[in-house]
Amino acid sequence: MVTILDVRDVKKNYRMGKVFVPALRGVSFNVEQGEMLTVFGPSGSGKSTLLHLMGGLDRPDEGDILIDSVNILKLSEGRLAELRLTKIGFVFQFFNLLPRLSALRNIELPLDISGVPEKEASSRAQDMLKLVGLEERGTHRPSELSGGEQQRVAIARALITNPKIILADEPTGNLDTKTGHEIVDLMEKLNDEKGQTFIVVTHDPRIAEEADRIVYIKDGLIEAIKESKGGRSG
Amino acid sequence: MKASKLLSTALENLKQRKLRTSLTTLGVVIGITTIIALASLGEGLRVEIQQRLESGFELNVLIVFPGSFLAGFGSPFVPTDVSNMRNVSGVTLVTPMMTMPTAQIDKNNGSKLGAFTVGAVNFTEMGQMFPQRFKLAFGAFPEPDDNDTVVLGYKVATRNGTAFVELNENLSLIMRSQSPPYTVYLNRTLRVTGILQEGGTSGITNFDYWAFIPLDTGVEINGGEKYQIILVQVNDPETGQQVATNIEGTFANPYSVSVFVPSSLVRQVDNVLNIITIFLLAIASISLLVAGVGIMNIMTVSVMERTREIGILKAIGAKSRTVLAMFLAEAVLIGVIGGVIGIFAGYGLSYGLARVLSQLIQPQQQDTVFQNPNRQTLTVTPVFSLEWTVIAFAFAVVVCIIFGLYPARKASKLNPVEALRYE
Repeated sequence: MVTILDVRDVKKNYRMGKVFVPALRGVSFNVEQGEMLTVFGPSGSGKSTLLHLMGGLDRPDEGDILIDSVNILKLSEGRLAELRLTKIGFVFQFFNLLPRLSALRNIELPLDISGVPEKEASSRAQDMLKLVGLEERGTHRPSELSGGEQQRVAIARALITNPKIILADEPTGNLDTKTGHEIVDLMEKLNDEKGQTFIVVTHDPRIAEEADRIVYIKDGLIEAIKESKGGRSG
Repeated sequence: MKASKLLSTALENLKQRKLRTSLTTLGVVIGITTIIALASLGEGLRVEIQQRLESGFELNVLIVFPGSFLAGFGSPFVPTDVSNMRNVSGVTLVTPMMTMPTAQIDKNNGSKLGAFTVGAVNFTEMGQMFPQRFKLAFGAFPEPDDNDTVVLGYKVATRNGTAFVELNENLSLIMRSQSPPYTVYLNRTLRVTGILQEGGTSGITNFDYWAFIPLDTGVEINGGEKYQIILVQVNDPETGQQVATNIEGTFANPYSVSVFVPSSLVRQVDNVLNIITIFLLAIASISLLVAGVGIMNIMTVSVMERTREIGILKAIGAKSRTVLAMFLAEAVLIGVIGGVIGIFAGYGLSYGLARVLSQLIQPQQQDTVFQNPNRQTLTVTPVFSLEWTVIAFAFAVVVCIIFGLYPARKASKLNPVEALRYE
């Protein structure tokens, strides 16, 4: 097994006015390539902060984070953006699609940013749309799509650059139970078929159970890391 | 991000906010319209005035007066003055002229001719000096030894377009003393040998109201070779000022003569008009700066509204540079669209203004040698130069970039985590 993500004693404080609030107080764990891992904890436990750090959106105050053997602390802003573009895909609780672009154009966006020719970008986005089961909805704007459909578009957008890691922040948090399960099923299917590493942050125990491993986090510290009962053998 | 994608995305974004975009663009349009209209009108006015000046003066002919304009006329020139001028380099032709301003010409039946000035000239040299202007409509110039003859200007010989004087008719040249009781001291009979073509131009070389007699007759009347004016033709109008200085140098006292250099007058007027044009454009440019502030204002609001969007772009891997470029592209597009519309609107406006201006500036009716009675109105036609169009367009884009830079930088500097949290 190849370690794709290495989190080493990461600490992160937030400033609230004049006081520093510790969000992460020394967190260490590894993620293997192709693994489906959930970070489980109550709200305010620091799991979203951890996700932002793992995705290179923010930098830790202390400790190291190695993505695909690259220490992100040593990267410039520009290199970090490049790393997000090529190796990381984000899925958010509130979908975070650009409201004025069609589903297809939203999916294309990372390819546009990396300068892929328009024709190629468009055909690859079309393939992704098919993969998430929305080939009929490509021309629709996010406001014309249901929550589940929007999250599918977001997943397609996260996958289009073929990144090594998909980071999902409460991907079902804004969906009803049934739709939430469909999204989790989709992620599992993609994890199986495409071998991408999925790290899902959630406070929903039923979602957490679906993963191979669960990282339990509370008050900025890891309580436990367990193999999941419902997880499939790696 | 590819430039083409950058622009098409920016265009899409602008289209989503049609009202806001069109109002922002309107500011640029007004600025560019004003600049283009004023520049082309200024240029049109300059060309019109220059043409008038050039048609009023032969630019290659210098006019030499004795004395100076302020100190009064000095004693007339003598033949050696003329021959000295012929030796000045750059001079191709020198011809002296006697003027008799108080002379009057009557028909034999007693009716007066409307000659304002009687000049005694060398007809051959005058023809060479003013090849376009000193041309006959009827008859011929007098033979060199054919004294007591006269060639009349067109307006002198006609009344309301019909001939008032016939060829070979005898006229009386009458001169009176210059103070009361104005006794006639000369009454000489002259035979009409020719009538000049209508000059139809303004300026001091309009010969329509002149009567010309041979130089020898003038010498007899004046009792000597004393010339009031010497006309000097130079080979290059550009050297006029230098030749003028050299001509002054042929006199013992250079300040005893004045040389009128039409090309330098034209240049002066040109300079003044250029200054006026630049002044107007500077004012017009202020409106473009105001438009720039409008762009900055709108874009700053837009960046705030789109904070979350910027966070998303950064999360999926857009560099600060890319975000900066995306916002700048919108500013550039506003500049380009506003600039293009402004250029065409400016063309339209300048025609409208030219019309109004042409009607406002109507010279008063005066039949003088300085005022051509045939051209009453000043017609200003806007002149569009590619140069000004390009400058105005570039100015629009540059202003948009400069004022778009601050909000675009603000957008690019946003922290992705905070931007994503923004509601």
